[in-house]
Amino acid sequence: MTGRGPPRLNGAGAGGMCQFKLVLLGESAVGKSSLVLRFVKGQFHEFQESTIGAAFLTQTVVLDDTTLKFEIWDTAGQERYHSLAPMYYRGSQAAVVVYDITNQDTFARAKTWVRELEKAGSPNLVIALAGNKADMANRRMVEAEEAKAYAEEKSILFMETSAKTAMNVNDLFLAIAKRLPRNEKQPSGEGGSGHTLVDPAQDEKKSGSCLTTPGLNFFTLTSELDLRVFKFEDVYGVILNRISTCYVVNK
Amino acid sequence: MSASNSNDLHRSEIDAYGFKHGEDFDYDSYEEFMSRYLSILARRASKWNKLLSGSGSVKRSSKVKRYVRKGIPNEHRGEMWMCVSKAKKLMDSNEGLYQRLLGQELDPSIQSEIDIDLHRTFPENIYFCNDAAASGKQDSLRNVLKAFANHNPEIGYCQGLNYVVAMLLIVLKDEEKSFFLLEKLTKQILVGYYSKNLRGLNVDQMVLGELVKLRNPNIASHMENKMAPWSLVCMKWFVCLYLDILPIETTLRIWDCLFYEGPKILFRVALTLVLQNEESILTARDTSQIVERFRKVKSQPLNMDCHTFMQKVFLDSQPLKMATIDKLRSECEQNL
Repeated sequence: MTGRGPPRLNGAGAGGMCQFKLVLLGESAVGKSSLVLRFVKGQFHEFQESTIGAAFLTQTVVLDDTTLKFEIWDTAGQERYHSLAPMYYRGSQAAVVVYDITNQDTFARAKTWVRELEKAGSPNLVIALAGNKADMANRRMVEAEEAKAYAEEKSILFMETSAKTAMNVNDLFLAIAKRLPRNEKQPSGEGGSGHTLVDPAQDEKKSGSCLTTPGLNFFTLTSELDLRVFKFEDVYGVILNRISTCYVVNK
Repeated sequence: MSASNSNDLHRSEIDAYGFKHGEDFDYDSYEEFMSRYLSILARRASKWNKLLSGSGSVKRSSKVKRYVRKGIPNEHRGEMWMCVSKAKKLMDSNEGLYQRLLGQELDPSIQSEIDIDLHRTFPENIYFCNDAAASGKQDSLRNVLKAFANHNPEIGYCQGLNYVVAMLLIVLKDEEKSFFLLEKLTKQILVGYYSKNLRGLNVDQMVLGELVKLRNPNIASHMENKMAPWSLVCMKWFVCLYLDILPIETTLRIWDCLFYEGPKILFRVALTLVLQNEESILTARDTSQIVERFRKVKSQPLNMDCHTFMQKVFLDSQPLKMATIDKLRSECEQNL
């Protein structure tokens, strides 16, 4: 797991709000929509409907007193929809390229996505490679070392993830968040579709009364029962437009 | 449909087609709408029964067109789709074709594309969910998609067809009929929509942009200023023919017209959705906000009332000539 340490970021003002466009790319059925669903709603469906065109969701992350709003474009995986992808990654600040660790072809496809993004994506695009379905390691066809070496060679982020168990899902998005430049403050939009996540590495000093979720990723949202809901204002004494609740779970 | 039936229906979490109501399903609006719609349904049913008494089929006429626009009753819907689209005629003149196609082996890569999507097609629908006991129609879905791919190598399998075929199977309750209606749909009604380059689909989304420009230049220029291509908003409208975009009853009313009148109805509905959300679009800060706002059309009470919605569709889009669409299509084709 990467990115556990306290992130060092410059220029993030208290209560600032940044907005980023993120796109998910990858072969059909590797788990793009499931990763987003886990990240945005803390849910997992064994049978996730296939995405047509693209789905759009938002999620807000708090990092270093800065609120980052991810605008997520979750694209269709089938090859014939490929020609539409530039419409979604054009202007994106981040891209998550997903493959399925049980399927070598999907890793090859992920590499071609990375190449395309290097060529046609914006120059400062933060790219992350996600080897999903890590819970199915007994059927593994892509070694983590191989993917890691590839990611290092390309200087992109890499994590193995499981949308099913939530392993590394939030970490992946936080790791991306930490790499994103934060100079443009933007007005907040309409209510996002998800909860607000707080990076516990940032937050431990503040969240005095928090809960532990054993056996799970360190601040994974599983069900509302595992969480305490605070009014955002109560915790931070700041009022952020339209972000009314914030879930905090300690390490 | 009796009043007690309808009561069971709208109190239930499952609708008449096996779909679970979404989290944001507005039971109150639905109840209010159904209480008005039941008498309309009863009237339509008696008119259709009279129309069909005798031959049991219909010929094209302004009366039939009017009847179709006012909604085909559920009990006749499948047969009428087969009839007005001429899929029945196609099926009758191709006896044995479906079985032959089923017997042929399909290119394994296409077969696996289909298989990947089978479990991901309406997993919340009681006919397609993955409970072994209930998944009656999943095999039928595999069969129809396979036969279709075998018969149309230039299309193979296109994501989106899984939903369309699943809905055909729910309404027609028959694989062979669903196959031939799909043939009519893809070869005569929506040419090029599902092809490998999606050309027909892309052209028609551009055509919608042109129609909006003609009808409401403000909206069109706002979209252009936000650099938002219409396909960001309406791709799924055209691929899934409003399935999962609008409430199911409304979608089926659209399909009634689609099979009788052709693709014009897709544009009419799109124009209505765009025009009725004018304010949302014009006040949107950026592309994402536009898309986010359009996602809410399914739960707008206005769109649940399929009868009023369809009346509005024909009023809003005014006379829309196929010649206009064809002209725009050829212009857009050149710009593609």
